[in-house]
Amino acid sequence: MNFQATPMKISDLADNTGEWLRGTGAESDIVISSRIRLARNVARFPFLSRANVKQKRELEEIVSNKIKEAEITSDLRYINLADIDPLDRLFLVERHLISREHAGGEGERGVAFGKSETISLMVNEEDHLRIQVIRSGFELKEAWNTIDEVDNKLEKKLNYAYSSRFGYLTACPTNVGTGMRASVMMHLPALGMTHHIEKVFNAVMKLGLVVRGLYGEGTQVSGDLYQISNQFTLGKSEVEIVEIIEGVIPRITSYERMARKALISESREQLEDRIWRSYGMLKVARIISSEEIMHLLSQVRMGVNLGIINDIEMKTLNELFILTLPGHLQKLEGRELTSQQRNIIRAAYVRKRLEMI
Amino acid sequence: MKCESCNKKHATVHLTEIVGTVKKERHLCEDCAQGINKQLAKIPSPTEILTSLINQVAPEINEMSKIVCPVCGLSYLEFRSHGRLGCPMDYTIFRKGLIPLLEKMHGSTQHVGKVPSRAGKELIKKNELMQLRNELNKAVEKEDYEKAAELRDRIYELSGDTDED
Repeated sequence: MNFQATPMKISDLADNTGEWLRGTGAESDIVISSRIRLARNVARFPFLSRANVKQKRELEEIVSNKIKEAEITSDLRYINLADIDPLDRLFLVERHLISREHAGGEGERGVAFGKSETISLMVNEEDHLRIQVIRSGFELKEAWNTIDEVDNKLEKKLNYAYSSRFGYLTACPTNVGTGMRASVMMHLPALGMTHHIEKVFNAVMKLGLVVRGLYGEGTQVSGDLYQISNQFTLGKSEVEIVEIIEGVIPRITSYERMARKALISESREQLEDRIWRSYGMLKVARIISSEEIMHLLSQVRMGVNLGIINDIEMKTLNELFILTLPGHLQKLEGRELTSQQRNIIRAAYVRKRLEMI
Repeated sequence: MKCESCNKKHATVHLTEIVGTVKKERHLCEDCAQGINKQLAKIPSPTEILTSLINQVAPEINEMSKIVCPVCGLSYLEFRSHGRLGCPMDYTIFRKGLIPLLEKMHGSTQHVGKVPSRAGKELIKKNELMQLRNELNKAVEKEDYEKAAELRDRIYELSGDTDED
Protein backbone atom coordinates (compact mmCIF):
# COMPACT_ATOMS: atom_id res chain seq x y z
CA MET A 1 0.00 0.00 0.00
CA ASN A 2 1.08 3.55 -0.69
CA PHE A 3 0.28 6.89 0.78
CA GLN A 4 -2.48 8.89 -0.90
CA ALA A 5 -1.28 9.69 -4.39
CA THR A 6 -2.49 13.28 -4.56
CA PRO A 7 -0.16 15.61 -2.70
CA MET A 8 -1.91 17.19 0.20
CA LYS A 9 -2.31 20.93 0.29
CA ILE A 10 -2.09 22.16 3.83
CA SER A 11 -4.43 25.04 3.05
CA ASP A 12 -7.16 22.45 2.30
CA LEU A 13 -7.22 21.69 6.01
CA ALA A 14 -7.48 25.27 7.22
CA ASP A 15 -11.26 25.63 7.34
CA ASN A 16 -12.00 22.51 9.40
CA THR A 17 -10.43 20.56 12.23
CA GLY A 18 -9.64 17.01 13.29
CA GLU A 19 -12.22 14.62 14.68
CA TRP A 20 -10.98 15.06 18.23
CA LEU A 21 -12.60 18.51 18.44
CA ARG A 22 -16.10 17.19 17.72
CA GLY A 23 -17.06 17.68 21.35
CA THR A 24 -18.36 14.12 21.67
CA GLY A 25 -17.35 11.29 23.97
CA ALA A 26 -17.62 10.81 27.70
CA GLU A 27 -17.55 13.92 29.93
CA SER A 28 -17.01 16.07 26.85
CA ASP A 29 -18.42 19.15 28.59
CA ILE A 30 -15.20 19.24 30.64
CA VAL A 31 -12.81 16.80 28.97
CA ILE A 32 -11.96 18.11 25.50
CA SER A 33 -9.68 15.31 24.37
CA SER A 34 -7.63 12.27 25.38
CA ARG A 35 -4.21 11.82 23.86
CA ILE A 36 -1.50 9.16 24.02
CA ARG A 37 1.91 9.17 22.43
CA LEU A 38 4.55 6.47 22.24
CA ALA A 39 8.25 7.14 21.70
CA ARG A 40 10.10 4.55 19.64
CA ASN A 41 13.60 4.27 18.18
CA VAL A 42 15.10 2.02 15.56
CA ALA A 43 17.75 -0.41 16.85
CA ARG A 44 21.36 -0.01 15.66
CA PHE A 45 20.99 3.69 14.87
CA PRO A 46 22.16 6.58 17.05
CA PHE A 47 19.50 8.81 18.58
CA LEU A 48 18.92 11.98 16.57
CA SER A 49 21.17 14.29 18.59
CA ARG A 50 24.16 12.09 17.61
CA ALA A 51 23.02 11.18 14.10
CA ASN A 52 24.74 12.80 11.12
CA VAL A 53 22.94 14.17 8.06
CA LYS A 54 23.28 10.86 6.19
CA GLN A 55 21.97 8.80 9.10
CA LYS A 56 19.04 11.19 9.57
CA ARG A 57 18.15 10.88 5.91
CA GLU A 58 18.44 7.10 6.08
CA LEU A 59 16.24 6.97 9.19
CA GLU A 60 13.61 9.22 7.64
CA GLU A 61 13.50 6.96 4.59
CA ILE A 62 13.32 3.71 6.56
CA VAL A 63 10.73 4.86 9.08
CA SER A 64 8.45 6.63 6.56
CA ASN A 65 8.58 3.57 4.25
CA LYS A 66 7.75 1.19 7.08
CA ILE A 67 4.83 3.41 8.08
CA LYS A 68 3.54 2.99 4.51
CA GLU A 69 4.03 -0.77 4.57
CA ALA A 70 2.37 -1.18 7.96
CA GLU A 71 -1.07 -0.35 6.48
CA ILE A 72 -2.19 1.66 9.47
CA THR A 73 -5.12 3.40 7.79
CA SER A 74 -5.96 3.64 4.10
CA ASP A 75 -5.92 7.44 3.97
CA LEU A 76 -2.55 8.11 5.58
CA ARG A 77 -0.58 10.96 4.02
CA TYR A 78 3.05 11.85 4.61
CA ILE A 79 4.53 15.33 4.63
CA ASN A 80 8.26 15.98 4.66
CA LEU A 81 8.61 18.89 7.07
CA ALA A 82 11.88 20.05 5.51
CA ASP A 83 9.96 20.72 2.27
CA ILE A 84 7.27 23.00 3.70
CA ASP A 85 7.57 26.56 4.97
CA PRO A 86 7.55 27.60 8.65
CA LEU A 87 3.95 28.85 8.46
CA ASP A 88 2.73 25.40 7.36
CA ARG A 89 4.67 23.84 10.19
CA LEU A 90 3.12 26.26 12.68
CA PHE A 91 -0.28 25.28 11.30
CA LEU A 92 0.46 21.58 11.95
CA VAL A 93 1.59 22.40 15.51
CA GLU A 94 -1.66 24.25 16.18
CA ARG A 95 -3.60 21.19 15.04
CA HIS A 96 -1.55 19.01 17.44
CA LEU A 97 -0.27 16.93 14.51
CA ILE A 98 3.38 17.74 15.24
CA SER A 99 5.14 19.15 18.29
CA ARG A 100 6.74 22.59 18.50
CA GLU A 101 10.15 20.90 18.73
CA HIS A 102 9.42 18.90 15.58
CA ALA A 103 8.38 22.06 13.72
CA GLY A 104 11.48 23.95 14.80
CA GLY A 105 13.84 21.01 14.25
CA GLU A 106 16.48 20.58 11.56
CA GLY A 107 17.10 18.17 8.73
CA GLU A 108 15.05 15.35 7.30
CA ARG A 109 11.87 14.82 9.28
CA GLY A 110 8.21 14.33 8.58
CA VAL A 111 4.72 13.46 9.70
CA ALA A 112 2.03 11.03 8.53
CA PHE A 113 -1.62 11.45 9.41
CA GLY A 114 -5.04 10.43 8.14
CA LYS A 115 -8.08 12.47 7.22
CA SER A 116 -9.65 12.29 10.67
CA GLU A 117 -6.32 13.48 12.20
CA THR A 118 -6.81 10.95 14.98
CA ILE A 119 -3.50 9.20 14.35
CA SER A 120 -0.27 11.01 13.68
CA LEU A 121 3.21 9.55 13.21
CA MET A 122 6.14 11.89 13.66
CA VAL A 123 9.40 10.81 12.05
CA ASN A 124 12.71 12.12 13.42
CA GLU A 125 11.27 14.17 16.25
CA GLU A 126 13.26 13.82 19.49
CA ASP A 127 13.01 10.07 18.89
CA HIS A 128 13.04 8.31 15.52
CA LEU A 129 9.31 7.72 15.73
CA ARG A 130 6.57 9.19 17.83
CA ILE A 131 3.11 7.71 17.44
CA GLN A 132 0.17 9.79 18.63
CA VAL A 133 -3.54 9.11 18.97
CA ILE A 134 -6.05 11.84 19.97
CA ARG A 135 -9.72 11.21 20.65
CA SER A 136 -12.56 13.52 21.52
CA GLY A 137 -13.76 13.43 25.15
CA PHE A 138 -12.60 11.22 28.00
CA GLU A 139 -11.55 8.15 26.01
CA LEU A 140 -8.06 7.35 27.20
CA LYS A 141 -8.54 3.58 27.22
CA GLU A 142 -9.88 3.64 23.66
CA ALA A 143 -6.91 5.81 22.67
CA TRP A 144 -4.59 3.21 24.23
CA ASN A 145 -6.28 0.36 22.32
CA THR A 146 -5.87 2.23 19.04
CA ILE A 147 -2.25 3.20 19.60
CA ASP A 148 -1.35 -0.30 20.84
CA GLU A 149 -2.68 -1.71 17.58
CA VAL A 150 -0.79 0.84 15.46
CA ASP A 151 2.38 0.09 17.43
CA ASN A 152 1.91 -3.66 16.88
CA LYS A 153 1.64 -3.16 13.15
CA LEU A 154 4.79 -1.03 13.06
CA GLU A 155 6.69 -3.36 15.32
CA LYS A 156 6.36 -6.11 12.71
CA LYS A 157 8.19 -3.88 10.24
CA LEU A 158 10.66 -2.02 12.44
CA ASN A 159 13.22 -3.42 14.83
CA TYR A 160 12.73 -1.20 17.87
CA ALA A 161 15.54 -0.40 20.32
CA TYR A 162 14.42 -2.31 23.40
CA SER A 163 15.90 -3.85 26.53
CA SER A 164 14.15 -6.16 28.97
CA ARG A 165 15.40 -4.06 31.88
CA PHE A 166 14.66 -0.54 30.60
CA GLY A 167 11.93 -1.23 28.03
CA TYR A 168 11.73 0.97 24.92
CA LEU A 169 14.96 2.96 24.77
CA THR A 170 14.50 6.67 24.18
CA ALA A 171 16.78 9.65 23.58
CA CYS A 172 15.74 11.20 26.88
CA PRO A 173 15.70 8.95 29.95
CA THR A 174 12.50 10.69 31.13
CA ASN A 175 10.63 8.73 28.43
CA VAL A 176 12.30 5.33 28.76
CA GLY A 177 10.28 2.20 29.58
CA THR A 178 6.84 2.45 28.05
CA GLY A 179 7.82 5.54 26.08
CA MET A 180 4.28 6.59 26.79
CA ARG A 181 2.82 9.96 27.64
CA ALA A 182 -0.94 9.88 28.20
CA SER A 183 -2.71 13.18 28.64
CA VAL A 184 -6.22 14.48 29.05
CA MET A 185 -7.11 18.03 28.05
CA MET A 186 -9.61 19.58 30.43
CA HIS A 187 -11.59 22.81 30.44
CA LEU A 188 -11.70 24.06 34.05
CA PRO A 189 -13.00 27.66 34.09
CA ALA A 190 -14.94 27.49 37.36
CA LEU A 191 -12.00 26.05 39.31
CA GLY A 192 -9.93 28.93 37.95
CA MET A 193 -12.55 31.56 38.86
CA THR A 194 -13.00 30.21 42.39
CA HIS A 195 -9.21 29.87 42.89
CA HIS A 196 -9.41 26.16 43.64
CA ILE A 197 -7.24 25.13 40.70
CA GLU A 198 -4.06 25.09 42.82
CA LYS A 199 -5.56 22.44 45.07
CA VAL A 200 -6.26 20.27 42.07
CA PHE A 201 -2.68 20.66 40.88
CA ASN A 202 -1.29 19.66 44.25
CA ALA A 203 -3.50 16.56 44.43
CA VAL A 204 -2.56 15.60 40.88
CA MET A 205 1.16 16.06 41.50
CA LYS A 206 1.06 13.74 44.48
CA LEU A 207 0.03 10.98 42.08
CA GLY A 208 3.13 11.61 39.98
CA LEU A 209 1.12 13.40 37.31
CA VAL A 210 1.82 16.83 35.85
CA VAL A 211 -0.35 19.71 34.66
CA ARG A 212 0.59 21.60 31.53
CA GLY A 213 -0.90 24.19 29.17
CA LEU A 214 -2.59 23.66 25.81
CA TYR A 215 0.55 22.83 23.84
CA GLY A 216 2.32 20.65 26.38
CA GLU A 217 5.64 21.11 28.08
CA GLY A 218 6.59 24.67 28.92
CA THR A 219 3.45 26.22 27.49
CA GLN A 220 1.27 28.69 29.33
CA VAL A 221 -2.24 27.93 30.38
CA SER A 222 -4.78 29.87 28.36
CA GLY A 223 -8.52 29.56 27.89
CA ASP A 224 -8.67 27.58 31.17
CA LEU A 225 -7.41 24.55 29.24
CA TYR A 226 -5.15 22.17 31.13
CA GLN A 227 -3.41 18.95 30.18
CA ILE A 228 -3.03 16.33 32.87
CA SER A 229 -0.39 13.74 32.03
CA ASN A 230 1.93 11.12 33.51
CA GLN A 231 5.52 12.01 34.33
CA PHE A 232 6.86 8.51 35.01
CA THR A 233 7.19 6.10 32.12
CA LEU A 234 9.17 3.30 33.77
CA GLY A 235 8.04 0.78 36.39
CA LYS A 236 4.36 0.86 35.49
CA SER A 237 2.65 -0.81 32.56
CA GLU A 238 0.83 1.20 29.90
CA VAL A 239 -2.53 0.05 31.23
CA GLU A 240 -1.57 0.98 34.79
CA ILE A 241 -0.58 4.48 33.66
CA VAL A 242 -3.88 4.87 31.81
CA GLU A 243 -5.73 3.67 34.92
CA ILE A 244 -3.96 6.13 37.22
CA ILE A 245 -4.97 9.05 35.00
CA GLU A 246 -8.44 7.62 34.45
CA GLY A 247 -8.84 7.40 38.21
CA VAL A 248 -8.10 11.05 38.84
CA ILE A 249 -10.07 12.68 35.99
CA PRO A 250 -13.60 11.99 37.36
CA ARG A 251 -12.53 13.60 40.63
CA ILE A 252 -11.43 16.74 38.81
CA THR A 253 -14.58 16.87 36.64
CA SER A 254 -16.84 16.54 39.66
CA TYR A 255 -14.80 19.21 41.45
CA GLU A 256 -15.25 21.53 38.45
CA ARG A 257 -18.99 20.80 38.40
CA MET A 258 -19.23 21.60 42.11
CA ALA A 259 -17.42 24.90 41.56
CA ARG A 260 -19.85 25.74 38.71
CA LYS A 261 -22.83 24.95 40.93
CA ALA A 262 -21.43 27.10 43.71
CA LEU A 263 -20.96 30.00 41.28
CA ILE A 264 -24.57 29.68 40.11
CA SER A 265 -26.09 29.49 43.56
CA GLU A 266 -23.95 32.27 45.03
CA SER A 267 -23.73 34.75 42.20
CA ARG A 268 -25.93 33.70 39.32
CA GLU A 269 -26.44 37.21 37.91
CA GLN A 270 -22.72 38.01 37.92
CA LEU A 271 -21.88 34.69 36.25
CA GLU A 272 -24.57 35.08 33.59
CA ASP A 273 -23.47 38.64 32.97
CA ARG A 274 -19.87 37.56 32.47
CA ILE A 275 -20.85 34.82 30.06
CA TRP A 276 -23.27 36.97 28.01
CA ARG A 277 -20.75 39.81 27.84
CA SER A 278 -18.13 37.39 26.48
CA TYR A 279 -20.62 36.07 23.92
CA GLY A 280 -21.49 39.63 22.94
CA MET A 281 -17.85 40.53 22.48
CA LEU A 282 -17.30 37.57 20.16
CA LYS A 283 -20.29 38.66 18.07
CA VAL A 284 -19.50 42.36 17.79
CA ALA A 285 -15.81 43.05 18.50
CA ARG A 286 -13.64 44.32 15.63
CA ILE A 287 -10.22 43.52 17.10
CA ILE A 288 -9.52 40.44 19.23
CA SER A 289 -6.07 39.32 20.38
CA SER A 290 -5.19 35.61 20.59
CA GLU A 291 -5.06 35.84 24.37
CA GLU A 292 -8.46 37.54 24.61
CA ILE A 293 -10.18 35.07 22.36
CA MET A 294 -9.13 32.13 24.50
CA HIS A 295 -10.67 33.83 27.51
CA LEU A 296 -13.91 34.74 25.69
CA LEU A 297 -14.31 31.26 24.18
CA SER A 298 -13.69 29.70 27.57
CA GLN A 299 -16.46 31.77 29.17
CA VAL A 300 -18.92 31.04 26.37
CA ARG A 301 -18.05 27.34 26.43
CA MET A 302 -18.95 27.22 30.11
CA GLY A 303 -22.15 29.14 29.33
CA VAL A 304 -23.16 26.49 26.80
CA ASN A 305 -22.38 23.70 29.26
CA LEU A 306 -24.49 25.36 31.93
CA GLY A 307 -27.41 25.82 29.54
CA ILE A 308 -27.16 29.61 29.78
CA ILE A 309 -26.36 29.89 26.06
CA ASN A 310 -28.05 27.39 23.76
CA ASP A 311 -27.78 28.67 20.21
CA ILE A 312 -24.22 27.53 19.54
CA GLU A 313 -22.82 24.04 19.06
CA MET A 314 -20.03 22.68 21.23
CA LYS A 315 -18.17 21.54 18.12
CA THR A 316 -18.11 25.10 16.75
CA LEU A 317 -16.73 26.44 20.00
CA ASN A 318 -14.09 23.73 20.32
CA GLU A 319 -13.02 24.36 16.73
CA LEU A 320 -12.77 28.11 17.25
CA PHE A 321 -10.08 27.53 19.90
CA ILE A 322 -7.90 26.14 17.08
CA LEU A 323 -9.17 27.94 13.97
CA THR A 324 -8.47 31.39 15.43
CA LEU A 325 -4.81 30.64 16.20
CA PRO A 326 -2.19 32.67 14.28
CA GLY A 327 -1.12 29.89 11.90
CA HIS A 328 -4.70 29.00 11.00
CA LEU A 329 -5.74 32.59 10.32
CA GLN A 330 -2.73 33.09 8.06
CA LYS A 331 -3.43 29.86 6.14
CA LEU A 332 -7.05 30.86 5.79
CA GLU A 333 -6.06 34.23 4.37
CA GLY A 334 -3.34 32.65 2.28
CA ARG A 335 -0.68 35.14 3.32
CA GLU A 336 1.51 36.22 6.19
CA LEU A 337 -0.12 38.68 8.57
CA THR A 338 1.17 40.97 11.29
CA SER A 339 -0.21 40.52 14.76
CA GLN A 340 -2.43 43.62 14.35
CA GLN A 341 -3.81 42.33 11.02
CA ARG A 342 -4.47 38.95 12.61
CA ASN A 343 -6.45 40.53 15.46
CA ILE A 344 -8.77 42.23 12.94
CA ILE A 345 -9.18 39.11 10.79
CA ARG A 346 -9.70 36.97 13.89
CA ALA A 347 -12.61 39.16 15.03
CA ALA A 348 -14.15 39.10 11.53
CA TYR A 349 -13.77 35.32 11.26
CA VAL A 350 -15.46 34.70 14.61
CA ARG A 351 -18.35 37.02 13.73
CA LYS A 352 -18.85 35.13 10.50
CA ARG A 353 -18.76 31.72 12.20
CA LEU A 354 -21.23 32.74 14.89
CA GLU A 355 -23.68 34.21 12.39
CA MET A 356 -23.82 30.96 10.46
CA ILE A 357 -25.55 29.14 13.26
CA MET B 1 62.44 48.85 53.52
CA LYS B 2 62.81 45.90 55.91
CA CYS B 3 60.65 42.77 55.64
CA GLU B 4 57.60 43.06 57.92
CA SER B 5 57.67 39.42 58.80
CA CYS B 6 61.28 38.72 59.84
CA ASN B 7 62.35 42.33 60.16
CA LYS B 8 65.85 41.29 59.01
CA LYS B 9 66.13 41.13 55.24
CA HIS B 10 65.30 43.72 52.65
CA ALA B 11 61.68 43.59 51.46
CA THR B 12 61.57 42.81 47.74
CA VAL B 13 58.05 41.35 47.45
CA HIS B 14 55.09 43.72 47.74
CA LEU B 15 51.65 42.11 48.19
CA THR B 16 48.25 43.77 48.18
CA GLU B 17 45.65 41.89 50.15
CA ILE B 18 41.99 42.85 49.95
CA VAL B 19 39.69 41.49 52.62
CA GLY B 20 36.15 42.77 52.18
CA THR B 21 36.60 46.51 51.60
CA VAL B 22 39.85 46.77 53.54
CA LYS B 23 42.99 47.01 51.47
CA LYS B 24 46.19 45.91 53.14
CA GLU B 25 49.70 46.15 51.76
CA ARG B 26 52.44 43.77 52.82
CA HIS B 27 56.14 44.10 52.19
CA LEU B 28 58.18 40.93 52.55
CA CYS B 29 61.57 39.46 51.82
CA GLU B 30 62.00 36.62 49.32
CA ASP B 31 62.12 33.85 51.96
CA CYS B 32 59.07 34.99 53.92
CA ALA B 33 57.07 35.48 50.72
CA GLN B 34 57.83 31.86 49.75
CA GLY B 35 56.44 30.70 53.09
CA ILE B 36 53.16 32.51 52.42
CA ASN B 37 53.01 31.01 48.94
CA LYS B 38 53.22 27.53 50.46
CA GLN B 39 50.29 28.32 52.75
CA LEU B 40 48.24 29.62 49.83
CA ALA B 41 48.88 26.39 47.95
CA LYS B 42 47.03 24.51 50.66
CA ILE B 43 43.77 26.34 49.81
CA PRO B 44 41.83 24.12 47.34
CA SER B 45 41.58 25.39 43.78
CA PRO B 46 38.14 26.12 42.23
CA THR B 47 38.34 22.82 40.31
CA GLU B 48 38.97 20.93 43.53
CA ILE B 49 36.06 22.66 45.25
CA LEU B 50 33.81 21.83 42.30
CA THR B 51 34.87 18.18 42.29
CA SER B 52 34.15 17.82 45.97
CA LEU B 53 30.75 19.49 45.50
CA ILE B 54 29.88 17.12 42.64
CA ASN B 55 30.97 14.24 44.83
CA GLN B 56 28.54 15.35 47.49
CA VAL B 57 25.59 15.98 45.17
CA ALA B 58 25.97 13.29 42.52
CA PRO B 59 28.85 10.97 43.38
CA GLU B 60 28.34 8.90 40.25
CA ILE B 61 29.34 11.80 37.98
CA ASN B 62 32.96 11.83 39.11
CA GLU B 63 33.25 8.11 38.85
CA MET B 64 31.52 8.03 35.48
CA SER B 65 33.08 11.21 34.07
CA LYS B 66 35.76 9.40 32.09
CA ILE B 67 33.35 6.98 30.40
CA VAL B 68 32.70 7.53 26.70
CA CYS B 69 30.32 5.40 24.64
CA PRO B 70 32.39 3.53 22.01
CA VAL B 71 29.37 3.42 19.67
CA CYS B 72 28.18 7.03 19.51
CA GLY B 73 31.10 8.86 21.13
CA LEU B 74 28.97 10.56 23.80
CA SER B 75 30.64 11.08 27.18
CA TYR B 76 28.76 10.71 30.43
CA LEU B 77 29.49 14.37 31.24
CA GLU B 78 27.97 15.50 27.94
CA PHE B 79 24.89 13.44 28.73
CA ARG B 80 24.57 15.02 32.16
CA SER B 81 24.89 18.54 30.77
CA HIS B 82 22.36 18.07 27.92
CA GLY B 83 20.11 15.37 29.35
CA ARG B 84 19.97 13.46 26.06
CA LEU B 85 21.54 10.11 25.32
CA GLY B 86 23.34 9.43 22.05
CA CYS B 87 22.38 5.88 21.17
CA PRO B 88 20.54 2.84 22.59
CA MET B 89 23.90 1.40 23.74
CA ASP B 90 24.31 4.29 26.21
CA TYR B 91 21.79 2.60 28.47
CA THR B 92 24.31 -0.22 28.89
CA ILE B 93 27.49 1.87 28.90
CA PHE B 94 26.17 4.46 31.41
CA ARG B 95 24.08 1.96 33.34
CA LYS B 96 25.73 2.65 36.68
CA GLY B 97 25.06 6.38 36.45
CA LEU B 98 21.62 5.98 34.93
CA ILE B 99 20.13 3.68 37.54
CA PRO B 100 20.02 6.26 40.37
CA LEU B 101 18.75 8.86 37.88
CA LEU B 102 15.94 6.62 36.67
CA GLU B 103 15.05 5.79 40.25
CA LYS B 104 14.70 9.52 40.96
CA MET B 105 12.70 10.24 37.78
CA HIS B 106 10.39 7.26 37.71
CA GLY B 107 10.61 5.71 41.17
CA SER B 108 11.65 2.49 39.45
CA THR B 109 14.35 1.04 37.22
CA GLN B 110 12.54 -1.97 35.80
CA HIS B 111 10.27 -1.94 32.75
CA VAL B 112 7.04 -3.86 33.29
CA GLY B 113 5.07 -2.67 30.27
CA LYS B 114 4.72 -3.78 26.70
CA VAL B 115 7.20 -6.21 25.15
CA PRO B 116 7.76 -6.22 21.38
CA SER B 117 6.75 -9.62 20.03
CA ARG B 118 10.18 -10.11 18.50
CA ALA B 119 11.71 -9.85 21.96
CA GLY B 120 10.26 -13.30 22.50
CA LYS B 121 7.62 -15.06 24.49
CA GLU B 122 9.97 -15.82 27.36
CA LEU B 123 10.47 -12.15 28.01
CA ILE B 124 6.74 -11.51 27.92
CA LYS B 125 6.27 -14.24 30.51
CA LYS B 126 9.09 -12.88 32.64
CA ASN B 127 7.59 -9.40 32.66
CA GLU B 128 4.12 -10.67 33.41
CA LEU B 129 5.50 -12.65 36.34
CA MET B 130 7.34 -9.61 37.60
CA GLN B 131 4.19 -7.55 37.46
CA LEU B 132 2.16 -10.21 39.23
CA ARG B 133 4.78 -10.34 41.98
CA ASN B 134 4.57 -6.57 42.37
CA GLU B 135 0.81 -6.81 42.69
CA LEU B 136 1.20 -9.63 45.17
CA ASN B 137 3.47 -7.49 47.35
CA LYS B 138 0.96 -4.66 47.22
CA ALA B 139 -1.91 -6.98 48.13
CA VAL B 140 0.06 -8.34 51.10
CA GLU B 141 0.87 -4.80 52.23
CA LYS B 142 -2.81 -3.91 52.10
CA GLU B 143 -3.62 -7.19 53.89
CA ASP B 144 -5.89 -8.16 51.02
CA TYR B 145 -5.20 -11.89 51.44
CA GLU B 146 -7.95 -13.03 49.14
CA LYS B 147 -6.39 -11.14 46.24
CA ALA B 148 -2.92 -12.26 47.33
CA ALA B 149 -3.97 -15.92 47.17
CA GLU B 150 -5.44 -15.40 43.74
CA LEU B 151 -2.26 -13.70 42.52
CA ARG B 152 -0.11 -16.45 44.04
CA ASP B 153 -2.08 -19.07 42.11
CA ARG B 154 -1.64 -17.16 38.87
CA ILE B 155 2.11 -16.87 39.51
CA TYR B 156 2.33 -20.65 40.11
CA GLU B 157 0.35 -21.31 37.00
CA LEU B 158 2.47 -19.06 34.84
CA SER B 159 5.86 -20.09 36.23
CA GLY B 160 4.91 -23.76 36.30
CA ASP B 161 6.96 -24.05 39.44
CA THR B 162 5.14 -24.45 42.73
CA ASP B 163 8.29 -23.96 44.77
CA GLU B 164 8.78 -20.44 43.62
CA ASP B 165 8.62 -17.59 46.13
